[in-house]
Amino acid sequence: MVGEVLMTKDILVDEFLTIFVSSTLVLVFGGFYVGIYTAVKVKLLKNWAMPFSYLFWILTAYCLYLMGSYMHVNEFTAKALVVAAIGILLLPHAVYYMQDRVHEENEH
Amino acid sequence: MANSYLTTESKKLATWYFTFAAIIFGAQLLFGLVAATQYVIPGFLFEIVDFSVARMIHINALVVWMVFAMIGSVYWLLPDETGIETVGIGLGKLLFWVFAAAIVVVVLVYLLVQVGPADETSLWLIHEGREYIEAPRWADIGIVVVVLGFIYNLYATGMKGNRSGIVTVLMADMLAFAGIYLAGMGYTDNISIDQFWWWWVIHLWVEATWEVFVGSIAAYGLITMIGAHRKVVEMWLWIEVAMLFGSGILGMGHHYFWIGTPEYWWEIGALFSALEPLPLVAMFIHVLYDWGKMQGEESAKGQDVSVIANKPAFTWFVLNAIGNFLGAGVWGFFHTFPQVNLYTHGTQFTSAHGHLAFFGAYGTLLIGMFYLAVQGKNGIKVMNATKKSIWGTSMIFGGVLGMTAALTLSGYVDVLVSRAQMGATWSGYFEGQASMWFMQGMDWRLIMGVVTFLGFFVLVADLLSIGKATHHKR
Repeated sequence: MVGEVLMTKDILVDEFLTIFVSSTLVLVFGGFYVGIYTAVKVKLLKNWAMPFSYLFWILTAYCLYLMGSYMHVNEFTAKALVVAAIGILLLPHAVYYMQDRVHEENEH
Repeated sequence: MANSYLTTESKKLATWYFTFAAIIFGAQLLFGLVAATQYVIPGFLFEIVDFSVARMIHINALVVWMVFAMIGSVYWLLPDETGIETVGIGLGKLLFWVFAAAIVVVVLVYLLVQVGPADETSLWLIHEGREYIEAPRWADIGIVVVVLGFIYNLYATGMKGNRSGIVTVLMADMLAFAGIYLAGMGYTDNISIDQFWWWWVIHLWVEATWEVFVGSIAAYGLITMIGAHRKVVEMWLWIEVAMLFGSGILGMGHHYFWIGTPEYWWEIGALFSALEPLPLVAMFIHVLYDWGKMQGEESAKGQDVSVIANKPAFTWFVLNAIGNFLGAGVWGFFHTFPQVNLYTHGTQFTSAHGHLAFFGAYGTLLIGMFYLAVQGKNGIKVMNATKKSIWGTSMIFGGVLGMTAALTLSGYVDVLVSRAQMGATWSGYFEGQASMWFMQGMDWRLIMGVVTFLGFFVLVADLLSIGKATHHKR
């Protein structure tokens, strides 16, 4: 019953390591993405580092895809993972934009 | 040590709370070591302090020391934020002694009485049998009274003095924090219903109200320690409140997968759990942003000086951002979806996540507050680290990371052997427990637990002596 509703098929023993590693890397790469993005914006890193931040987002999205595939997620969870990937992409832009606006208003 | 530099009674009361919290923190580690030893030597303290008792004290002491340190943190920052002495401080002091005495009695009952008859007298006088919040009902009621007094102090002070954004968030958050506790006080003989309400307390504390508390204290710390602009910090705080409550409240679904609740919780839990790491990632950005901006402004003036006014505390605040990200984020995320949680729930993975998330997200920040109090108590303008600070920090944080890694290894065996290969059967459970890899994970957990415990003594020695060191700027 659980197998029919929750996931398309059972997880194989050999697939657990890939699931755990890929889900860990989702946040590790996601952390690198937002970290490099923010560090470039606040001038702790040079501008040339910015493409690397987006490279890390692509890796994040790939790891989310890998994780979802190996978990054999149902359609709903697959959509939730896509929303999470887009959320991670937009997050530093939105937070930085708002923080910087307030910072500027505070200074001038 | 004299309180000569503390100009308000509220801050003096905060130091009482911090001191008691540090003692209970030590008790938590001690009983954690007892339980860890029992995994390696099962007969250790058999029928004296059994595993069930050691574990009960370990995890209840965890909650108690953090609650004490959280209340202390609020009493510490209130005069700074509101510009006035805390209203009703006499009541606050009385309630501190009532609370501390009640905790001592509860712990003594846990240790000396341990279990009682299977009727209401055990619920009222010994413990309720609910993990993390096992205080007997008389203590439950006492805790509610004490916390109501604390809420009165906070609200009366916030309404009389300058109500900053931080104080406003804390007023709302502490009310929710106290109110949610009531959900764990009822009694039912239906275990599914009992667990349903119990998770309201545990989840809505640690993944909603406690995280918002962390955001508020981090905001106060960034303003105090690196001079971050209040408007920026407070604006961030509101975003964080929205993100944490937005994802955290229904993220509770990931606890409802297998306890007898309807299956729609799979979908709700999956969606909101997928979003839960976002605020944690954002918190990481925030610390980096403020630090980079403030240090950049200082460098632009041509001054090569650090903007950090309390290096040991700031180190713990940075470790909070990292520990929260790793413990709550990474270790939470990899078993938060129902598809994989089917195999991982109730294994040592949960324990690994619990260790790093509780310590990383809350313990670190509260230790940072201890150092802020030491700085204020000793009238230090810029407090530098000592060798003991560095050793204590490294041993404790390294020890907790080591325990987490060891428990993850054992959890992996649990998942593969006990669940995936042998289908969550009794024989599967014992097969997993007897595995060489599982046992080696338990050995390393004990070793790293000893490192953490020794680090605690170095930390205490540092907290007691760092104020007298001569290399600070006064």
